[in-house]
Amino acid sequence: MSRRKPPTVKEDVTCNLIPMIDIMFLLLLFFMLSADMTQREFEDVVLPSADQVQEAPKDKTVGEETTTINIYHRPDSATFTCPLYAHGSLCRDPSHWLIGVRSAEYTPDTIRDQIRNEAEASLEAEVDPEAGKRMSARKVIIRADHMAPYGDVQKILQYCGEFGIYKIEVAAAAPTKA
Amino acid sequence: MAGASIGDNEENPVAINVTAMVDVIFCLCVFFMCSLHFRQLEGKFDTWLPKGKGTGGVGDSVIQEIRVAVYWDEPNARVVRQLGNRMIANDEELQALIQEAHDDFVKLNKPDTPVTIDADARVPWSEVINIVNICKRDQIDKIEFAMGVGPPQ
Repeated sequence: MSRRKPPTVKEDVTCNLIPMIDIMFLLLLFFMLSADMTQREFEDVVLPSADQVQEAPKDKTVGEETTTINIYHRPDSATFTCPLYAHGSLCRDPSHWLIGVRSAEYTPDTIRDQIRNEAEASLEAEVDPEAGKRMSARKVIIRADHMAPYGDVQKILQYCGEFGIYKIEVAAAAPTKA
Repeated sequence: MAGASIGDNEENPVAINVTAMVDVIFCLCVFFMCSLHFRQLEGKFDTWLPKGKGTGGVGDSVIQEIRVAVYWDEPNARVVRQLGNRMIANDEELQALIQEAHDDFVKLNKPDTPVTIDADARVPWSEVINIVNICKRDQIDKIEFAMGVGPPQ
């Protein structure tokens, strides 16, 4: 009596990659949507912290035009380093501090024309009775690094006042909620 | 290997090799993961510049204000704060003194008396924001910025 050979089942062992591809697509979609691909209004600055700060609203007021002015230290690169700022000390070299508006760099002297252009681009229709001139409806958000010289912020406030921008917001880091 | 993953060859004779696509998606995922940065939670202090006042002088009128002077002490590389003639040691003392001065003006029926921050141009911005924050803690909303002072004599 010969033993019968058990029937062999030809199994095709393949790795099903479809679920993994699905997940990868979802991850890709998530990272693409969360990536900031718009024109960069916010430079990397370490904002001063303040516990009384009002949390910024998620959505902008409809029709409100804003300009974000960043005051930040020139970042380290292959051709530039600032050991003082890198070690958390106070850097007071005027050439190391920049003012950025929509990724364009300005100095405290060259920002004046930009602020004037921004102000004139959104003048209010009516003459303000208090000021006796047409004010600008534009809102300026000042985002200054915590180490930035106050003189630079002062100049921006001065130029805003000069060109009729009266709505100013000052950014600060809100304390993290426990 | 990956080409065989799209169903059975007998059912679907045209196998698509997805290996290259998976590689590309991996690379894209790594790129977007690396470029992702979590933004710091930001808040704002709403400010309105005076419309009619401008940045001119205050004239000869008697100034009624709570003036906090902030100087940059270059030799010691530190910030010096002063309220009136009094040097301020810490934030708690400054808050108490501002509150006291503000209460005095409220008693005189002048609750709108501003706190004027008179800071040296070299002072770090965080010091100015700290004083604004202290004023907000004291429920003082009328804060003014002076156009800078010289070092103390």
